[in-house]
Amino acid sequence: MAHLVCEVVYRGIFQKNLASRITRGIVLSARKAGRWGIAFGRYGDSPQRNGVPAKDFAIVADTKEELEQHMARYEPKELHVTICVDDTLCKGVESWAWYGLQPINRLILPNGHLLVTSTQSAAELLRDTHKKDTPYHLWILPGKASLAGLWVYREDHTEVRVLGALAKIAPQFLSLEAVSEAIREAEWGSDLKVGSARKAYERIEARPVKITEGNPETPYSFELPRWWEMREGVSIPALPIGKPIEGTKGYRPERSQVFKKFSSRTMRPVVDFDTCVKCTLCWLQCPDSCFDVMPDGLYDANMESCCGCGICEAVCPVHDCITMVNEAAFEDNASQWEMWRRDKDAYRVWLGTKIKEKVHVARSHGFRYRGQYEEEMARGEFELGGAPLSDGIPGENAGQKGAKVGEAHSTLSVSIVTGVAEAPGA
Amino acid sequence: MAVATKAASGPTVLEEKEMLISGSEAVAEALTLADIDVVTAYPIRPYDTVMQAIAKKIANGKLIAEYIVAEGEHSQFEIVKHASAVGARVFCGSSGVGWAYAMECLVVTPALRIPMIALVGNRALDDPGAFGVEHNDALFVRDLGWLLVWIDTSQEALDTTLIAYRVAEDRRVFLPIAISADGAFLTHSQALTRVPPREWVDKFLPPYSRGDLQLHPDNPITVAPQVNEDWVIEIRRQNNAATERAYTVIEEAYADFRRVFGRGPENPWFEEYMTEDAEVILMGMGTLSLPVKVAIRKMRGEGKKVGLIRLRWFRPFPYQQLARAFRKVKAIGVIDRDYSFGSPFGSGVVATEVRAALYNAEHRPPLIGFICGLGGREVTLEDVYKATDICFAAAKAGRAEQATCWLGVRE
Amino acid sequence: MADTTTFANATQVLEPFKGVKKVTIEEYFSSGHRTCQGCESALVMKLMVKAAGPRTIVLGSTGCMYVANTTYYSTPWVVPWMHTQLGSSGSAALGTAAGLKSLMKKGKMRAEPINVIAFCGDGGGADMGLAAISATLTHKEYNSLILLYDNESYANTDIQLSGLTPYGAHTTFSPPGSVKRLIHTRWKKNVAGMLAAGHPECRYVATVCASFAVEMMNRVRKALSKGGPTFIHSLDPCPKGWDYDPMLSHELGELAIETGIFPLYEVEDGVVKYYGKTKAIVDGRKRKPVREYLLRQGRFAHFIEEDLAYFQAKVDEMWEKWELPGVVAFRKDSARIPSVQ
Repeated sequence: MAHLVCEVVYRGIFQKNLASRITRGIVLSARKAGRWGIAFGRYGDSPQRNGVPAKDFAIVADTKEELEQHMARYEPKELHVTICVDDTLCKGVESWAWYGLQPINRLILPNGHLLVTSTQSAAELLRDTHKKDTPYHLWILPGKASLAGLWVYREDHTEVRVLGALAKIAPQFLSLEAVSEAIREAEWGSDLKVGSARKAYERIEARPVKITEGNPETPYSFELPRWWEMREGVSIPALPIGKPIEGTKGYRPERSQVFKKFSSRTMRPVVDFDTCVKCTLCWLQCPDSCFDVMPDGLYDANMESCCGCGICEAVCPVHDCITMVNEAAFEDNASQWEMWRRDKDAYRVWLGTKIKEKVHVARSHGFRYRGQYEEEMARGEFELGGAPLSDGIPGENAGQKGAKVGEAHSTLSVSIVTGVAEAPGA
Repeated sequence: MAVATKAASGPTVLEEKEMLISGSEAVAEALTLADIDVVTAYPIRPYDTVMQAIAKKIANGKLIAEYIVAEGEHSQFEIVKHASAVGARVFCGSSGVGWAYAMECLVVTPALRIPMIALVGNRALDDPGAFGVEHNDALFVRDLGWLLVWIDTSQEALDTTLIAYRVAEDRRVFLPIAISADGAFLTHSQALTRVPPREWVDKFLPPYSRGDLQLHPDNPITVAPQVNEDWVIEIRRQNNAATERAYTVIEEAYADFRRVFGRGPENPWFEEYMTEDAEVILMGMGTLSLPVKVAIRKMRGEGKKVGLIRLRWFRPFPYQQLARAFRKVKAIGVIDRDYSFGSPFGSGVVATEVRAALYNAEHRPPLIGFICGLGGREVTLEDVYKATDICFAAAKAGRAEQATCWLGVRE
Repeated sequence: MADTTTFANATQVLEPFKGVKKVTIEEYFSSGHRTCQGCESALVMKLMVKAAGPRTIVLGSTGCMYVANTTYYSTPWVVPWMHTQLGSSGSAALGTAAGLKSLMKKGKMRAEPINVIAFCGDGGGADMGLAAISATLTHKEYNSLILLYDNESYANTDIQLSGLTPYGAHTTFSPPGSVKRLIHTRWKKNVAGMLAAGHPECRYVATVCASFAVEMMNRVRKALSKGGPTFIHSLDPCPKGWDYDPMLSHELGELAIETGIFPLYEVEDGVVKYYGKTKAIVDGRKRKPVREYLLRQGRFAHFIEEDLAYFQAKVDEMWEKWELPGVVAFRKDSARIPSVQ
């Protein structure tokens, strides 16, 4: 390898600054060894949106000429290392309309590398990750996905742990010494961070992936129409009006088939249909119109379109009726209402497992209050990506928001921000 | 004085009326005959006399249309763009920097295939402030898909307006057209103009129908979604195809005009004056043709074989027709009432385009670009004599000494 | 020529929804838009056309609700929708309404009341497009609704400050630095009040928030039924620009009203009516302290006590000193809070 091409695949906005630190860190580390490099975001991702998968790239080469070969493109056609900083992205990424669902490992060269921050095992990850027709190596950096936002950064050392791991993956380009030096010089660097990088370097191991391993499904893709097939006047047909589900009962809107949006999801709502009071708020307040109205008047979050914002849980007035659970805990986009209808007892068991497991598969989802990240970090271990696994989705942090600790919701709607009981739909 | 002109077809005997009207009033007559639906106005000289003429028509019940005075040219053009999108036949216009203020709208109108007809009262861009004629304003949009035509007389103003709606609203084209006119003639000269009866116009101009591009709840579409590099070049390709089809549609429209109205030019693209045996041909757009014609008659009297091509349609540019028209000439002098600083040879826009049109022609005579008459300065007979002499010298030498000359400047 | 005297220029008659259970079930803005998780502006779009119904044409000016919704040759719209330029929402509303009216008057189109709604963001509406909106609001002969969805930044270009960005907020044009902590010290323009005060022929102006969905939809219905040009200003919490966990969008909208920062009111034929939680505030309920709202957003994480105090003082002033609290900044007593340089 006389050049090294890396991509960081990440959650738009939530991990924008993280991705930037990683790609810049790669270039600055390689610089320490006298190499040339360039770091850039993919233009088509911009403007980024919370949760929608995005990519940044870092290219490093021995000479300027070699580097130039790889510049002036929107994105590299193949690369050596894919760094995935949220393991739910391993289910595939859909970055914009007509993009289709692209496997996380699509661009990796034969015997290339996929580095993933995850609390899952290799076996669990490979259930989601699509099969590839060439072998590659999977490297797992243990820890939760580090999500923050545009203005306040979550200093959980993820960027330096990734850089430390890269020193093991691509030692010809990034020596541990070079990485350490670059970290020390960075505005956001420190000796503590150098320590985290070293620990990551020491502990991470390669797990070879065979061409027989992975999710066998063919992800959906589109063929773009030719100029004379396209409608004139920059016009496209509107979506058709939706239809009832059974006779005249229920309602399912028609949804765009060229941008489904479910790959933006980091967590999904799990609904307890037995306790639902049909207040309509989840359906009404969902910005993505993802709830189907079922013939019996219950609301089923359609997993082909839910993007996992969590507003439904926040507005639901009933205790534990809607609970957001880490997307990694699920294998498909099956309808929960269908599952419940087929066998209500089995569903209750399944539901209970998922919600309980939340404790172990919890994840962060952005800024809640000033000082939150610092408090979380004060409790956490940096070599595991920060705060303990039980922190994350609301309820656990309820103590900060005025609601009673240990209580996700009362039977009245309680504003999780203000802690004051409100009538539903107020 | 009525001129009895019978229609070539039609059961009743109708005739055209003769009126003594200005260019603006002629356009207003055409708009009334075309039964436009929405018009927006904003004051800037010299085009806005057309808006005043339209206001009179509406106030007197001759024209039924929504007449909206906008608060700026950007809004002015946006309003009619959207009215056209729902199927209304629209008219708009501006001059100089007013046209520039509307530019954001102007760039999207052809892309969205909106057949808007706009009158550009060509005016110098200010600063430096002047109301006089310069062609740069209309020429701004020459790359974007607007069709561009220059008119010279009140008759041409009326006829070209009707033809413009016919061409623009043809589904094969569906592009906006800017009709350019010199301010002075728009406002100051009153000429005898034939105004056809409505019945004839209805035979010539079908109703405007947007078809599957209509924005209406009965035809739910999304118009102009955001696109990226995967789509833009295909969309531009479509627009290119539409612009190419415009050549045919324009020829058809003029042929049909002659059939229905019994008059009109055989050649839509340009007027030829004494070019059959000309050794030198001068070329230009707009009312500079008047002093040129006067000068030509005088020079012909002196035995000089000189002629004029007055270009009507600048877009689509009639490059094939021009190459044919120039096939025997010994030198060409293009008089530009515009400028293009930093262009090849520093020539004006029209000269540069003509040079490009002749690059592959078998016969490539010397071509000199003359910059003249900017900011409303007269193109004088002396300017024309001087230009002609320079052209004859180039014809004799077989090459032009200077590719570009500025005429009439106080040196 | 059609007989123009019989054309009624009627609006649709859209009765208010009497509660969540009576809300239209159909979606006229569906899934498949590339908006952020928790995007309240997308919710506004959904509720806006849910309230308006299928006989509607929507014009959308450049911004998030254009780029994110129709990203790269796709659409979530079920009703006809057309893009318009950044500052053109006023012109688009006017042109569309005038085109339809002309065609119907002249018998060239079947006459029926079609809703015309043009939307704009805070950038496109309160900055660039204010003049065009103002012009449209003087045209009582054309029925339309202009809806300004306010996420308090130019969000689509990755968050720059606009005339409606709150004091001190962190945007890419106002990053807090070691020498200048606050680059943006302007106070938010009061668009709804300004437009209501300045356009006597405009019969309806209202402010809304999608956190109070039924009330928001009923304002849209009232505006569309009113006749003539109308205007609605919606406050939309924005997880990307404001930097917060998307699931808190709904709650933050409530807090904006409960702190008095964003008042809910309508001006109907010149009469000001507060509604919802704002009415409770006007009737005497204590406003929540602004810090409860501000410190839940990363865009204010750099605020010090002085900034919070100033913000609170300005909001207090809006309620305690203005002749029409929250609506128009006219006052009897001209003493002002010292401004920040």
